[in-house]
Amino acid sequence: MGKIVMSDNVQKRRGFIFPPYILLLFPAVSFMLLVYAYPFVSSVLKSFINKEGALSLDNYFKAWDLYLKDILFTFSITVFNTIASGIVAILLAVYFRLHESPISRFLLNLYRLPIFIPFVVVAQMMNSFLAPHGLLNVALAQLRLIDLNNPLQLFNFIGLSFGFIWKLAPFTILIIYGGFQMIDNSYIEAGRSAGAKWFKLITRILIPMNKPSIMVALVLIYSQIVGTFTLPYMLIGGKIPTTITVDIAHRVNYFRDFGVANALGVFSYILVFVTAIYYLKTKVKEVK
Amino acid sequence: MRSILINRKRILILTLEILLLLFSLLLIFGPMTSLVLWSIADKWFWPNPVPQSIGLDYWKQALGIQKSLAIGAVSIVPAFFLSLMIAVITVVIAMAIAIPAGYALAKYKIPFGTFILFLFLMPNAFPQQPIFVNLLDTFTKIGLAGTVPGVIIVHILVGLVFGVWITSATFKSIPVQLEEAARSVGANSLKTFFRISLPLAAPGLLASSVFVFITSLDEFTGTFFIGLPFVITLPMTLYSSSGYNMQFASVIAIILLIPSILFMTLIQRVLKAEYVGGMG
Repeated sequence: MGKIVMSDNVQKRRGFIFPPYILLLFPAVSFMLLVYAYPFVSSVLKSFINKEGALSLDNYFKAWDLYLKDILFTFSITVFNTIASGIVAILLAVYFRLHESPISRFLLNLYRLPIFIPFVVVAQMMNSFLAPHGLLNVALAQLRLIDLNNPLQLFNFIGLSFGFIWKLAPFTILIIYGGFQMIDNSYIEAGRSAGAKWFKLITRILIPMNKPSIMVALVLIYSQIVGTFTLPYMLIGGKIPTTITVDIAHRVNYFRDFGVANALGVFSYILVFVTAIYYLKTKVKEVK
Repeated sequence: MRSILINRKRILILTLEILLLLFSLLLIFGPMTSLVLWSIADKWFWPNPVPQSIGLDYWKQALGIQKSLAIGAVSIVPAFFLSLMIAVITVVIAMAIAIPAGYALAKYKIPFGTFILFLFLMPNAFPQQPIFVNLLDTFTKIGLAGTVPGVIIVHILVGLVFGVWITSATFKSIPVQLEEAARSVGANSLKTFFRISLPLAAPGLLASSVFVFITSLDEFTGTFFIGLPFVITLPMTLYSSSGYNMQFASVIAIILLIPSILFMTLIQRVLKAEYVGGMG
């Protein structure tokens, strides 16, 4: 309160006055309460209410019976792509940090491009690129690596992962490289003069010193993958197995079954629970 | 002897770099090339490696320059203007409530601060789709489902979170001393805000508005649940032609891609890396 000296004085003179931040925050907070917090709470509550309107676990049993495969698929897609994007991003960010050259500068900019492309466009791109007679298969056939009568089927785990890594690894690079830039050259020089080879430089100096931004990047893409609807919906759609987000859309669009949709929603909350807590904790600490 | 070794090492590194460069170019531009080729392919039958005949028919048709029943594409001009209108209204409302909130979060110590921070952080931490699903339920009851105002509310929700964080970071970066100086020469808090804080924050606020604009233009999931089948924005036209009409879908995808790349390239330096990835 010390910053706003004048209003402190005014407050003392007139007794209690309305603090200005209440007015400033009121529209945004009430909007978030109505349009975010209320549906969030009701998504959890309604998952426990069955078709007859009674309190029960019916929705969970049904979701478990019908979609266990998809929940596991979502989880494995998420874990795999978070780790894969993380490894790709750390390697490239290390290269950008340690090796200054025209090529590395160009690549640093090139890898920014996918970040700016919205998921719906990425989905369409992958849809045409990875199709059984899409550009990738045709190109591989020209190189005689595959037979076009038996093309690679990519509208599955592999294609979905390609799409996720294509879009999210560059974002991960951006955050992790940003963290690497904060590390002073003197640490790296010291490591080098102590005889550390690049592998030791990475594992002993760069990664430990940059742990916070690596963690934030991984946590962010992890929850983003769990919640992404566009890419799996346009790439895999209703095939089995598919992701939770696609199942939720099917439950709502075809059956108007909000109960099971909400139970699936709660499953997706559970998948991100640990990362969400970590993210909220670090962000609140950072802001305060 | 030593210099030969160093030279060899240099050549090896350069070779690896060039390989990485080629691989990266293929990786990034491969899928994009596919999009461009399809958008100009009049005829492209399997297994030809390139289209049998190319032309701009789908582009002309999509842009409303040409109307032919023989080409499987319709004008997306109405969808474009609808998307534009929704994005503009979203920016105006979202920023009007994000700027005061961002200012308050940056400059005041707020009781229950953690709770309020949580409210603005949770949409980044938890999947948003269940929110849209439950909004659909509520909006259906109050007559907002399938309407433009309903879609705008959802777009504001998606944009507001980023708007608040970016503006709050911007206001935080303004030195308190400047504001105190203005107050010490007698300016009241409103005057200080409009004469000192707001002009200094202008670049950040502009960047944040552009960001909210692009998020609205590209927004898919919320519009899918709240807007369909009546509110057809540009991403919805892409969705409905995707899968069976490669040419038309590719044209729309490129049209959506251009403003995103253009604007994001302009504002990325002002934005923190974390927010840049929040779109789409």
